[in-house]
Amino acid sequence: MSALAPRVVRVALAGNPNSGKTTLFNALTGAHHKVGNYPGVTVEKREGSRVRRGREFRFVDLPGTYSLTAYSLDEVVARDFILDERPDVIVDVLDSTNLERNLYLCLQFQEFGIPVVGALNMSDEAEAKGIEIDAEGLGTVLGLPMVKTVGSRGIGIEELLDAVEARAEGRGTELRMPGYGAELETRIDGLQALLDSDPAFASRHPGRWLAVKLLEKDEHAARIVLGHPRTAEIEETARQSVSWVERHFGKDAEIVVSEQRYGYIRGAVRETVRVVRKPDFSLTESIDKLIMHPFLALPLFAGVLWSVFQLTFLIGQYPMGWLESLFERSGAALGSVLPDGLLRSLVVDGILGGVGGVFSFVPLIVILFFLLSILEDVGYMSRAAFATDRILHTFGLHGQSVLPMMLGFGCSVPAILAARTLKSRRDRIATILTIPFMSCGAKLPVYVLLAGAFFPENAANVVMLIYAIGVALSLLSSLLLHSTVLRGEPTPFVLELPPYRAPTLRGVLWHVREKTGQYVKKAGTVILAASVLIWALTAFPARTPAPGEAEYLAALYASEHPRASADQAEAWAETSLATAALEYSAAGRLGKFIEPAFRPLGFDWRVGVATLTGFAAKEVVVSTLGILYRTGLDETEESGTLKEALRADPGFSPLTGFVLMLFTLIIPPCFASLATVRAELGWGWLGFVVAYFLVLGWAIGFAVYQVGNLAGLG
Amino acid sequence: MRLSEARVGQDFEIVAVRIPREVGRRLADMGFTEGARGRIVRGGAFRGPLHIRIRDYDVLLRRCEAAGIEVLPLYIEPAGVSEIPVQGASFRGRHRNGAGGRWRPGHRGWRLGGACRDSGVFSRPEGGV
Repeated sequence: MSALAPRVVRVALAGNPNSGKTTLFNALTGAHHKVGNYPGVTVEKREGSRVRRGREFRFVDLPGTYSLTAYSLDEVVARDFILDERPDVIVDVLDSTNLERNLYLCLQFQEFGIPVVGALNMSDEAEAKGIEIDAEGLGTVLGLPMVKTVGSRGIGIEELLDAVEARAEGRGTELRMPGYGAELETRIDGLQALLDSDPAFASRHPGRWLAVKLLEKDEHAARIVLGHPRTAEIEETARQSVSWVERHFGKDAEIVVSEQRYGYIRGAVRETVRVVRKPDFSLTESIDKLIMHPFLALPLFAGVLWSVFQLTFLIGQYPMGWLESLFERSGAALGSVLPDGLLRSLVVDGILGGVGGVFSFVPLIVILFFLLSILEDVGYMSRAAFATDRILHTFGLHGQSVLPMMLGFGCSVPAILAARTLKSRRDRIATILTIPFMSCGAKLPVYVLLAGAFFPENAANVVMLIYAIGVALSLLSSLLLHSTVLRGEPTPFVLELPPYRAPTLRGVLWHVREKTGQYVKKAGTVILAASVLIWALTAFPARTPAPGEAEYLAALYASEHPRASADQAEAWAETSLATAALEYSAAGRLGKFIEPAFRPLGFDWRVGVATLTGFAAKEVVVSTLGILYRTGLDETEESGTLKEALRADPGFSPLTGFVLMLFTLIIPPCFASLATVRAELGWGWLGFVVAYFLVLGWAIGFAVYQVGNLAGLG
Repeated sequence: MRLSEARVGQDFEIVAVRIPREVGRRLADMGFTEGARGRIVRGGAFRGPLHIRIRDYDVLLRRCEAAGIEVLPLYIEPAGVSEIPVQGASFRGRHRNGAGGRWRPGHRGWRLGGACRDSGVFSRPEGGV
């Protein structure tokens, strides 16, 4: 180890999507990593470290990109990280089975003047395909050390670290820049000489990189040049160079630069890579013959989706039941320990009731995300995009919108976050605006209650119908938004189709932990706060029962129901008091205040209160209705009685029940989802989401109720 | 001819990418450059996306982007792609965009939102091969 060597080596891990970068990152850093965001943007940043022979390697996992233009946020983040942080070494992870395209990014990293090490990852797959790579030869031609690795099995990690260490110490191959051919090189040299004429500027900005970027007409590079003392001269030279190149080659300068890069790569690969036997695509190809069949792809996708849901609810009901009873029992236990009063009410009804209700969905979400992560890691999502792009594109969406939309059936929070995979902001907004239409797990109990109460023979079909209406509305709404607020260029659909890969348990669990974590975090923060707020609305102002009121009510009940036991009479009296208290509270008054708005939809103030409390979490609608219909406070097990109470209510007809299901489907999502929308898109879009879904939910509820009434369905 | 006019199973060599701005740039970054060879493996039903193999990897591309890529059909099998099985024999020739004629927006079938014709992508004058 040389004396000058730094104790800490900062390494940026870069590479194409699907190059096995994350697997290699895990193999390099072990279990210890930190997940955050790059400053100011919603791009995930993972950091991890490894100590070896007294030296610390600090890794930052850059977002996977194909190039370093300003095409997507990911590319901007990767570029800015290299420019601002100037890591000691860049490790470029290359998919050995697909070298040409992977090396394209590698060349761009070389231009920053930072030592680059190439990791020829998935080298086992390349060998299996009969691709023979002379790693040393390729490294010599391109001027960077190349190490063969297999991230999934931890092969080549030590050798890779050796190479990184050597580069950090300045040993090994000399820095070399990719060549662009004599015509371009003359222009690049001219620009670079001008750029490097100011030593202060040259020390901050890599001249060769900037010269190439100017030739590519990169706007970011043009802005950097404004800080140079000879800006005008550089701009003029750049303009002349670009127009000379475009005249000489007869096409856009940036295309010429790309072509020259690929030409350079082609030459290097031709010398050092041999395909010893015909490539063997058999397994992926034969699966795709079915999965990507032009006509069967879409029905198969629907089948996959249906199976995922069936399996989720089939397995999920057991742990969900356990969690519910656990929360109930701990509520009862706490209730018996705490003194009767406000504190007990806050803890048991407010916090445990609200947050507990949300936590009981965790098993369902874990299972759904587990299954979807397997599909994602296997490589099915690109196939799903192939199957659905034709339809989604028609409605102004994108084939890649399909994953966030599917996640939306579980929970909107991770679904909204998953829209980050869409590269353009317009597509992200369009996708996020479809997610509330996907009935999340918390809306299901509401549907089950209402469908069970008013359509007992066809309950399952009615629930399915509501789900289908949600999907249909999401498409129609996208079309509406596409022709109004979300105009603009449709983004191209250029999506890599990776070969099928066996998912690793570790990778799948990582996804599940990440997505479930997002949900639990929201439940622990936003939903907790919302639960307390809504509890406060229902608890204040407190109504003090008149002395002997409970006894009077019990006696009244006993006189009306001569065969009822004393316990039943007491329970009835207790619920009546709770109902009276709720009616007296701020929430009750608010419900009555907004009742005129709900009347045209056929709802009374009780639905208003239930809807308000539903903003904490949608399934709270059920327990609020339970309180309001005096059927007892623990609705989870006794929905049978609530169903009967709803059916007995003359104000509720099957039509009203159906309208309430539609209304619950469409009105703005819970606070946690809204908070996520704000974090992802800002306050403006949050306001739009609230207003849009409120208006839409009301309008559709109104239309259905009024038309249904006219048709005599009321 | 245009890539969108080529048949399923057709091997091709790219002559030019005539899509300006970022989209053309992105395609170049992904390896769609002059001289690159590939094959159309399959196409989705009802003018759905094309599955293309180029530079030893697979990529999905909408037909409206493919319409901006000028290709030379290859009838001698290029090395490396000859063993690719092909799907959609029953589908051959069904997705032609007017036999070798000019690109006509009106002839692109049922389109609501997101049609490529309002993007202005193909506003450039161009000549065939």
